Amino acid sequence: MSEQIRNTKSTKGTKGELTILCVLCFLCSGFFQNDPRQIVEEAERRTTSQSQRYEGTLKVIDAKSKVTEKRWQYDRMGSHGASKAVLRFTLPPEVKGVALLVLNHPDRSSDQWMWTPAINRERKIALQDRATRFFGTDFSFEDLEERDTKQFDYKLLGEESIDGAACWKLQSTPRQTKVSQYSHSYVWVRKDNYAIAQIENYDKSQIVRRADYTDIRNDQGIWTAHQIDMHDLKRNSHTILKIEKLQYNVPMQDDAFTVQALRRES
Amino acid sequence: MTHLRFRRCGVNRRWKWEEQQALGGLNVLPRAYSLFCRLAYGFLCVVCLTPLSFAQTYTQRGFLENRGTFYPQKALNDSGRAIGESLLRYEGFYLPSTQIQVAGAVDFRIDTHHQVDRDFHLSWLDRGFQRPAVAIRRLSATYHRGPVTLELGKQFVRWGKTDIVTPIDRFAPRDFLTVVDNDFLAVTAARLNYEKGSNTVEAVWSPSLTPSRIPLENQRWAPPLQQLPTPVTVRNAQTVFPGGSQTGIRWNHTGTLEYELSLYQGFNHLPSFEAALSQSETGLTLEVERFYPKMLMAGGNVAISSRWFTLKSEAAYFGSSDARADEYALYVIQLERQSGEWFFIGGYAGEAVTERGSSTADFAPDRGLTKTILGRANYTIDTNRSVAFEAAVRQNGDGLWVKSEYSQALGRHWRATLNVTLIRGELNDFLGQYRRNSHAIVVVRYSF
Repeated sequence: MSEQIRNTKSTKGTKGELTILCVLCFLCSGFFQNDPRQIVEEAERRTTSQSQRYEGTLKVIDAKSKVTEKRWQYDRMGSHGASKAVLRFTLPPEVKGVALLVLNHPDRSSDQWMWTPAINRERKIALQDRATRFFGTDFSFEDLEERDTKQFDYKLLGEESIDGAACWKLQSTPRQTKVSQYSHSYVWVRKDNYAIAQIENYDKSQIVRRADYTDIRNDQGIWTAHQIDMHDLKRNSHTILKIEKLQYNVPMQDDAFTVQALRRES
Repeated sequence: MTHLRFRRCGVNRRWKWEEQQALGGLNVLPRAYSLFCRLAYGFLCVVCLTPLSFAQTYTQRGFLENRGTFYPQKALNDSGRAIGESLLRYEGFYLPSTQIQVAGAVDFRIDTHHQVDRDFHLSWLDRGFQRPAVAIRRLSATYHRGPVTLELGKQFVRWGKTDIVTPIDRFAPRDFLTVVDNDFLAVTAARLNYEKGSNTVEAVWSPSLTPSRIPLENQRWAPPLQQLPTPVTVRNAQTVFPGGSQTGIRWNHTGTLEYELSLYQGFNHLPSFEAALSQSETGLTLEVERFYPKMLMAGGNVAISSRWFTLKSEAAYFGSSDARADEYALYVIQLERQSGEWFFIGGYAGEAVTERGSSTADFAPDRGLTKTILGRANYTIDTNRSVAFEAAVRQNGDGLWVKSEYSQALGRHWRATLNVTLIRGELNDFLGQYRRNSHAIVVVRYSF
C-alpha cells in the first residue's frame, strides 16, 4: 500500500514538474517572440563552440551561368565577437595558399589581413574596402566576419515561413561602432532550432545580397547549415558554399591565428 | 658546399671565374657562411628526426609557365626581338608536427636568349650573372613555439608596406634581367620573430649577400655604360662580392594605425660601378668594376585608413662608410582604394641625396623610380578575367612607363596573360634609357 502511495506521489510529482516545464517553455517562447534580442542571443548561444573547422567548396555562378569552382579550408577559434578565423584557399591551384585572417571584436568591426604567397606579403583589408567581393566570390570581406549580436539593434517584424519552416523575421541595424556596407538586414531565424534560414542585406532601400541557409543538420549538438547560397543581386551572380568535413570543438592554438601564422603556414 | 668553377663557355667564362674569386679565391666560402651552413644542416636534421607520431601533412603547388617576349625595335647592343622562356616551379611544404615546417621550392628554366645559364648545376647562392637553369628557390625550416618563430635557410624576407617603391625592403634582392618585369630572389638567412599581441619584433641575420641580378652586358636591358659609342670597348674588370654578413631588426605594429620601424646594416644588393678608361691597340677600353657598397639603413612606415582611402607612407635614410657610395633618403606616399571591382594605388616617390659618393655609376631601380608619380589600377571583369594598368611618369617628363595587362583563367589549371609595355623618354633618364625596349609579353601558365 505504502509502495503504491509512493508511486502515485512520484507520478504526480513528474506530472507537476512537466506542467511547470511546459508553462515555463510557453512563457519563454512567448517572451522570445516579443523580444528580438532574446531570439538572436538564444540563436547565438546555441551556435557557440570553442572552435570550428570545415572544408568549403564554392561554386561561383555568374550572370551568364558560367561556373567557377574554388575550395578553402576554414578554421575558427572562439565564437561570435571573440572569435578568430583563418581561411586558406586550396583550389584552384593558382590561388593555393592565399589566406585571410579575420580577428573579430565584440565592440567594433573586425581586423582582416590577406596573405598572398606569390609576393610573400600580407595586406590589411581596410574598413572602406570590406564591401568588395572576396576573391571573385559573391561573399564580400564583411560577409566573412562573424556577426555579434551586441553590435546590432534588432526589431521583430513578424513571422514567416522559409522552405516550410516557421521563422521569426527580424530586422538588424548596425550600431554606430560597427562600420558596415549594409544599412540594415532582414534575418530569418527558424523557430524550431534557432538556426538562421535566410539573411537579406540592404543598402538603404535596395537589396544588395541575400544568403540562403539550407541543408541544416545537427552536428555535435549545433544546428548548422551545410549549404549557403550567397546571391549578389546587383551582379545577378551567386556563390554556393558547401560545407564538408565539419567539426566543432577541435583543439586549436591561439597562435595559429596571427599575421605571422599566415606567413608561416604558406 | 657550393661549387663554382672556371668554365670555358664563351662570354660567361670570366664571370664564372669572378664568382669563385669573390668567395675567397680558392673556393673557400666566408667563415660566417660556412658556420651558417653547418647550423642549418643540423637544424634540418633535427627537423627530419622529429618523432613522427604527430599529424603530418605535405602540401605542394607549382606551375609550368611559357613566356614569349616581343620587342618591336632592335636595341643598340641586342638585335634579338623575340625571346622564349620556360619556367617550371615546384614548391613543397612538409609539416612533421604543428611546431615545425620545412618549405622547399625549386625552379627549372630554359630560354632562347642566353639569359639562363646553359650549365645545369644546382645554384644555392644565386650570384651568377645569368639565371641558373636549376635553382633552389627556397629551402627553409621553421620552428614555432608560442610567440616565437625561427626560420633558418633560404627564404623570402619582405619588409615594408608600400607597393610601388619599398625603401625598407632590404632583404629582398630581385632579378632585374628584364628591368621592368622583375622577380624576387630568396636570401640565405636566420629570421627570429617574436609576436606579442599587435606587436612583432623581427631580427634577421644573413651570412652572405645575395645580390640583385642586373641586366646582362650584351643584352638590351644593360645599363647605359654598355651603350657607349663603338670606339670604346666596355670590359667587366671584376665583381667584388662583400664577405661580411647583414643584420636587420624590425618592429611592426598592427591595428587601426599600422606602423613599422626598421634598422639594417649590411650591403646594398644593387651594385655600383667604378670605371677606368685606358688606351689599347684596338682603341679606348673602359674597365668596369662592380661592387656592393656597405649600407646602413634606418626607416619606417605608417598606414592610416580613412573612410575614403588608405594612406601609406614609407621613408628610409641610407648611409654608408664607403666613400664611393651616395648617402640619401627615399620616401614614398601612396593612396589606395578598392571600389567595386576596381583597385587603385597612386602615389609619389621622392629622393633626397645628402652626400654624393665617388662611384661612376649605380644600377638602382629603386632610386630610378623616384621623383616619379606612380599609379596602378586593377579591374576584375569577372571571376576569370582581369585587366591591370600601371604607369610611372617622371616629374620632369623625361621618362614614361606604361604597362597594361589582360589576364584570363582557362579552366581550373590554365591562365593566359597578355602584357603590353610602352617606354618613352630621354636617354639620360632611368626609364627613358630603355625607350627602345617597349614590348609585349604573352604568358601561358599551367598551375598544379
